[in-house]
Amino acid sequence: MSKSTILSGTDLSKKYGDLEVVKGVSLTVNEGEFVCLVGKSGCGKTTLLSLLSGLEKPTKGRVSLDGREITTSSEDELALFRRDNVGFIFQSFNLIPTLSAWENVALPLFPIKITSEERRRRATELLEKMELGHRMDHLPSALSGGEKQRVAIARALVNHPKIIFADEPIGNLDSGTGEAIMGILNKLHKEEGVAILMVTHEDELAKTANRLIRMKDGEIMS
Amino acid sequence: MNYRYVLKELRHHHNRTLVNILGIGIGIALFVSINAVNTAYQKAVSLPFKNLGADIVVQRPEKRAVDSGQPPASMRGIRLPFSNQRLPSHDLEKLKAIEGVDSMASSLLLWEFNKGGFRTIMGVDLTQPSLGPVKVKEWLKEGRFPRKEGEVVLEKHYAKFHHKKNGDAVEINGRPFSVVGLLEIKEGSQIASANIYLPLQDAQGLLGAESGGVNIAYLRLKNPSLLSQVKTSIAKQLNGVSVTSSDSFLELMGGVSKISEQFSFIVSIIALGGAIFLIIKAMVSNLVERSREIGILKAVGWTERDVQKQLMGEVFLQSLFGGVLGILMGYFFSYLLGFLSIPVSTPWELNLLPAFAKDTAAVAKTVRLPVSISAGLTAISLALSLAAGGMASYFMGKRTARMKPAEILRQL
Repeated sequence: MSKSTILSGTDLSKKYGDLEVVKGVSLTVNEGEFVCLVGKSGCGKTTLLSLLSGLEKPTKGRVSLDGREITTSSEDELALFRRDNVGFIFQSFNLIPTLSAWENVALPLFPIKITSEERRRRATELLEKMELGHRMDHLPSALSGGEKQRVAIARALVNHPKIIFADEPIGNLDSGTGEAIMGILNKLHKEEGVAILMVTHEDELAKTANRLIRMKDGEIMS
Repeated sequence: MNYRYVLKELRHHHNRTLVNILGIGIGIALFVSINAVNTAYQKAVSLPFKNLGADIVVQRPEKRAVDSGQPPASMRGIRLPFSNQRLPSHDLEKLKAIEGVDSMASSLLLWEFNKGGFRTIMGVDLTQPSLGPVKVKEWLKEGRFPRKEGEVVLEKHYAKFHHKKNGDAVEINGRPFSVVGLLEIKEGSQIASANIYLPLQDAQGLLGAESGGVNIAYLRLKNPSLLSQVKTSIAKQLNGVSVTSSDSFLELMGGVSKISEQFSFIVSIIALGGAIFLIIKAMVSNLVERSREIGILKAVGWTERDVQKQLMGEVFLQSLFGGVLGILMGYFFSYLLGFLSIPVSTPWELNLLPAFAKDTAAVAKTVRLPVSISAGLTAISLALSLAAGGMASYFMGKRTARMKPAEILRQL
């Protein structure tokens, strides 16, 4: 069964001054596909992820996400688009230190006009799925690295995104915890059918993906 | 704006929050206190007139005294003070008729010199119930005010010094009078302060039938804003009279009051401006610390407006608490300043004592600083603290608009 394209980047380039970090890259991600972007540090994979997710605008090229051209959108339009369609998982978790686990999960819902009970219900549901029901009211400082990343995954899922962008999601975790997080991502991909574009520099992790894309010096090698 | 997030953020960074609130609070407290003291100075100098219900006092100084400062040949018995010669009845008629004058009262001030020294005697016009020295009736401590000829009221301290009490007899210029009351002069009422008070007719009798009349006129205006207009009219229509009002006290205090006014303006602007500048700088600097947080918010789908509303909520609460704290601190400082006494110098012509009674012609009287904070000042202070918050929000908004989530997250 063929699946439609959820994400497509065409001839993408990104320059910072004279330095061209991403050089004419084109790639697609299909619905429910788990794609790994592999390459050494500094090869431009995180920048490419930012371009594809709408966090950053390309110097050249186009990005289409869920059938919508996002390259020409304003910052606020992009923010709203990310809120409704995209989930992020970062290497350094990026949780808000003053908010509890459930509030961090509900963070993308704060600007939306829904009751706080509904926000809490949705956050609780996801945290329980991540086996963190007992850590709901804890601050990030009271959580382990693996727990923090599970909270971040729950946050990425709270708006039922079509695609999750994961930037070195286990880069800051020990191997055992990293495996567990990868297990959760695989499960999400298989059970929920969420598309995942994951950036990593470890070939081992990429083996679990449907597709592997190698990057070197800002270009796609394979 | 999410209140839970706002409160958690402020509580979590309690030191930062406290510094911001205190910064605004101190700026507002200085603004409130300085303005309250400045207003208190204005009130203090107007107290002598306010206590008598008058806006203007008119007197006719002795020409010789004005020209040369020389004492007259005779300094014995009853006489008119140098600064208070008789006001002719046609002058009084002219005063009454001047446009803007609402009512007029008069009194006759006398000095009596004898072997034992001197005393001041005030003949009070009992027909005016609330204007001029008749107001001393309200300050009776004992007995009553004279109703008929031959009765006097003594100033309490004078009576104590001369061992006189209610019911005793006193002799003025060889004539016997009975003491029917004792009064205490109210603070800041030096222009009505005499040793003995008696009905105007008795005072005129003491001076002698041919002299009669009055020597001080008290005018109340229809509207205080007509003050300079009425003073100009008096100067045009009556020659050789001295016209004083509360601004004469202000002129005499000159240095203090003028410095106070300019000082208060400059200092309150500096205090508030400095506080606003520091708060804006502190809050905008905090944004650099919080750039990671702002990057996360934008990455997960918060628009620029969502972020700004959140930051505005924090600034608003801090400004509000800072403003309220500042006003409370201002009230406290003003309460303490209310215990201070300031000297209010009396112009020469309004000094009821002979020149030799004091070292200087202008007798300094101290008055407790009447410090009070009006509802208007409170409202302005609160509005200023919120305006400071508004300015901080504006600059913070400009800064956050430049923050791109990818740039922030890449730096982590």
